[in-house]
Amino acid sequence: MILGTVVALVYAFLLVPMVIVVLAAFNAGNYFTFPPQGFSLKWFANFFQRREFMQALWLSTELAFWTAVASTLIGTAAAVALVRGRFRGRDLLNAFVTSPLLLPQILTGVALLQFYTLFKMQATYSALLIGHVVVTTPYVIRTVTATLTHFDIALEEAAQNLGAHPVRAFFEVTLGVIKPGVVAGAIFAFAISFDNFTLSLFLTSARLTPLPIELFAYLKYSFDPTAAAVSAFAIGVALVLVVGIARFMGLEEFTGF
Amino acid sequence: MRLGAGLVLLGPYILLLALFFTAPLALMLAISVSRQSFGQMEWTVTFHHYARFLSDGFYLGVLWDTLVLGVIVTAIALLLGYPLAYHLARTRSRWKPLLIVCILSPLLVGIVIRCYGWMILLADRGLINATLVERGWIAKPLPLMYNTFGVAIALVHVFLPFMILSLTGVLKRIDPALLEASQTLGASRVRTFVEVTLPLSLPGILAGSLLTFSLAISSFVVPILLGGFKVQVLPMIVYEQVLSVFDWPFGAANAFVLLVISVALIAVYIKVTERALRGIV
Repeated sequence: MILGTVVALVYAFLLVPMVIVVLAAFNAGNYFTFPPQGFSLKWFANFFQRREFMQALWLSTELAFWTAVASTLIGTAAAVALVRGRFRGRDLLNAFVTSPLLLPQILTGVALLQFYTLFKMQATYSALLIGHVVVTTPYVIRTVTATLTHFDIALEEAAQNLGAHPVRAFFEVTLGVIKPGVVAGAIFAFAISFDNFTLSLFLTSARLTPLPIELFAYLKYSFDPTAAAVSAFAIGVALVLVVGIARFMGLEEFTGF
Repeated sequence: MRLGAGLVLLGPYILLLALFFTAPLALMLAISVSRQSFGQMEWTVTFHHYARFLSDGFYLGVLWDTLVLGVIVTAIALLLGYPLAYHLARTRSRWKPLLIVCILSPLLVGIVIRCYGWMILLADRGLINATLVERGWIAKPLPLMYNTFGVAIALVHVFLPFMILSLTGVLKRIDPALLEASQTLGASRVRTFVEVTLPLSLPGILAGSLLTFSLAISSFVVPILLGGFKVQVLPMIVYEQVLSVFDWPFGAANAFVLLVISVALIAVYIKVTERALRGIV
């Protein structure tokens, strides 16, 4: 009973900032009060009318898309090699390939900024894209690895015994079975890139600003609910992506429990 | 799988990491022991910047504050996360997928947005203060933001999902038969929890705490937005030195201090999780 109450309160704590942001986005007033001052879509209208927000939204979407494509290709290949390969030093290699996930992103950000500046790549689209691929690929490796470890290698061997070339056996049998993990990994990579702030902050410029950076800049100077509309929109995107992961892979499998 | 095939598959990622992760970090180390004059790097080996960090009371104070904040955030996250993980590991509710969404969705919502949500709640003219003042329960707004309190609340919120995921993984692997045995032998539910469940979940507690602590001490978005530059932490010094002051060597040295702490914590974390996964508790 007490446990139930505590658990409910902690769930409420987890959700409260998001709920508040969404309510503020539809609220007519400049400040969010309780009870709300009436329903309005004017903050959304302002969001969609501001060129800087629209450009940032487009940049973020495009960036997240290419990040997902690149990290899914690179990550899936790496996961196959890591699960199937039997070689010495595999534990060390495993630790190395997941290190961008564990190292605080501010450090990756500072290191990449200095590196790019020295090689005259700073604040270019490709530099930003590469940075995002570096931090999202370990997530893809993890989700693909999770589905691959359940995969029965005998299936692939059966295909080969029936005369399929190893490459064809992989694409037609293995990929079909691990597809949920691959798709969930791609969606997750998209979400991580779309919401990334810390790394982007070091790799962007006034002419190259993804949505989270634009929102941060806006919040520094104004507190009006247009920011809430932008945030509510991003929360909507995140929800759609979670539903996508749930459908393709199942959330219990995805989180490992 | 043959070595050739393995190299072809793993090659692109290893190349990517070597060029755009390992090399930049190595460069940062080189910059942290170099000199900079009039914006030009002079590649030397000097420990001047580290000495400056370690001999200046201000920076040591910031480091201390950062670590203290990390401990506070980790302790609160553990206290809030444990009951939730305990419940999630055990529940057979058909709402379980929805509960997992509740835990995961904060992870997929950007950090700036989550901070903004807390700002709407905690600001001087925010929801809590406005409501309390309007009802006449308080005369002036409570100081909920632009101080350690606000920063700690938002940090707990940001990193709680990591704590919950670490704890649930371990709690789920505890064999229910052990708990039944304990109760059959006459132990109360509280005693069973204290003497069986809690010790068996220690690896999860340790792993979750290490992860939360290492993430909390390296966050700077939350301290900027909810601390309003009144709460100084080490990552903010790094950010200011690199992006505002443009003192790259000193910024890099600060970053490296943070990196050494993080890597040490991560190394312990990997050891702990590996052991927990092998079941040698």
